[in-house]
Amino acid sequence: MIVQNFNHKMAAHCESGTITSLLNHGGLNITEPLVFGIASGIFFGYFHKMKSFAFPTFIVRNKPGQMRTNIEKRLGVRFKNYDFKDPVKGQQTLDQLLQNNIPTGAQVDFFYMDYVPSWERVHINVHFLVVTGKTENKYTISDAYFPQMVELDADSLEKGRFAGGNMSPKGFIFHLDKLPADIDYNKAILKGISKACFYMLKIPIPFLGIRGIRMFGKKVVEWPKFARDTEHLSHEIMKINILLEDQGTGGAGFRFMYATFLQQAATITGKPQLAELSAELMKIGDGWREISLFSARIGKNRDLGPDKLKQLSEMLYDRANVEERFFKSLSQAIK
Amino acid sequence: MTEPTQELKLEIKNLIISTLSIENINLDDVDDEKPLFGGDNALTLDSVDAIEIIMAIQRTYGIRIADQNLARQVIGSINSIARFIAEQRENPTS
Repeated sequence: MIVQNFNHKMAAHCESGTITSLLNHGGLNITEPLVFGIASGIFFGYFHKMKSFAFPTFIVRNKPGQMRTNIEKRLGVRFKNYDFKDPVKGQQTLDQLLQNNIPTGAQVDFFYMDYVPSWERVHINVHFLVVTGKTENKYTISDAYFPQMVELDADSLEKGRFAGGNMSPKGFIFHLDKLPADIDYNKAILKGISKACFYMLKIPIPFLGIRGIRMFGKKVVEWPKFARDTEHLSHEIMKINILLEDQGTGGAGFRFMYATFLQQAATITGKPQLAELSAELMKIGDGWREISLFSARIGKNRDLGPDKLKQLSEMLYDRANVEERFFKSLSQAIK
Repeated sequence: MTEPTQELKLEIKNLIISTLSIENINLDDVDDEKPLFGGDNALTLDSVDAIEIIMAIQRTYGIRIADQNLARQVIGSINSIARFIAEQRENPTS
C-alpha cells in the first residue's frame, strides 16, 4: 500500500517541512517559509540550568508541535492526532491510515532512522517525517532532509515512535483532516508576525526572546565551570554551530527562513516594509552565521584562548541588540 | 544553463585553499568531480571547513547559501560549486 500522488520534497526543517507536505498533498498551495512564519516558528530561549539538560543550551524555534497547533488556529485547517501506549495498536492505526491512502505525519527519535548514515544519527525525540506507504515489512518515508523517499524497517519505525526519554513521541502520528473553504492569508500572516514579536520582545520570562539572547551572552562566560575539561568545553561550544546550522534550521538559527517568509508575506499582504525587513533579517542571519563559525573554530581547534568566551559573549549581545531593533520595527510594520 | 568555465573552477580551488590556509597542495591534483567530503580527493574537508567555504562564497561572489540542505549539495565537489555559482550569476535567487 503506497499513498497515491504524494510528492516528496526536501525542506529546511523537519516539522515545518512535514506540515507543508501534508498541506500540499491536501491541495493547499503553501510554502515551507509561509508555514514557518504563520506558525510563529522563530524564537529564542536560553537554558542555563535545567534538569533536562546536562549542559547549558538554547533553542532557536518554538516548542516542537507548536507549529502544527498554530497553523491549525491561524489557517483554520484541522489535523487529526493520535498517540498510543501500545505499539501494536500504534502500528495497526498507522497501517489502516495508509490503507485508506492517507499520508501520515509521525514524531520519532531520529536515532532509529536507519536510512540516516550511522555517524549522523543522534537521539532527538522530536524528529518529524511523513509515512507514505508500506510494502511487506518496510515503510516508505518522506523525510524532509533527504532528496528522495526512503525505506525503513517496521521494527526501526516502531523503535523510533516509541522511544523513551525526554519528549518521548508516544507513537504520535497525525494527518490532515479538514481544509477550510477559504483562508485569509493576510490575517494569518499578521497574527503569526504579531505573536512572534510578542515572544521575542515582551514575553515576561528572563531567559526567552531577546532577553534570552542577552542572558546567553551574559552566562556563556560561565560555561567553563560546567565542563569536565577543555575537550568537553570545546565540544559544547561547537554545539552552538550545530544548533544554529546543522539541525534543520534553514540556516543561521531559522533567521534566513523567517526572512524568506517576510519576503513572501510582503507580496501577499501588500506591505513593502516587510520586504525591507526581510533584507535586514538576512544580514542579521549573517551575524548568527559568524557566531556559528566562531564556535565551530573553537571546537575544531580546541582553542579557548583567554578572550574567546568574552568575544562570543560580545557577539551574542550584539545579536540581541540588532534583533531587538528588528522586532520592534517588525511590530510597527504590521500596525 | 551556462556550463562553468575552467577559469571559474580554478578560482574556486584557490578560494578554498586561501580560505582554509591549506599549504603544500598542487591544484592539478584536486579532482573537479570527486567529493570534497569523506572521499579520496586531494582536498578533503570537514563540516567546519564547509561553513568557512559557504561564507567565503558569499563574501567573494555575493551569493548567500542560506539553506544547509542546499549547502550540502552545493559544496559536494568543485564542479557542483562551480555549477551553482554559474547558475546564480545567470539567474540569481539568493
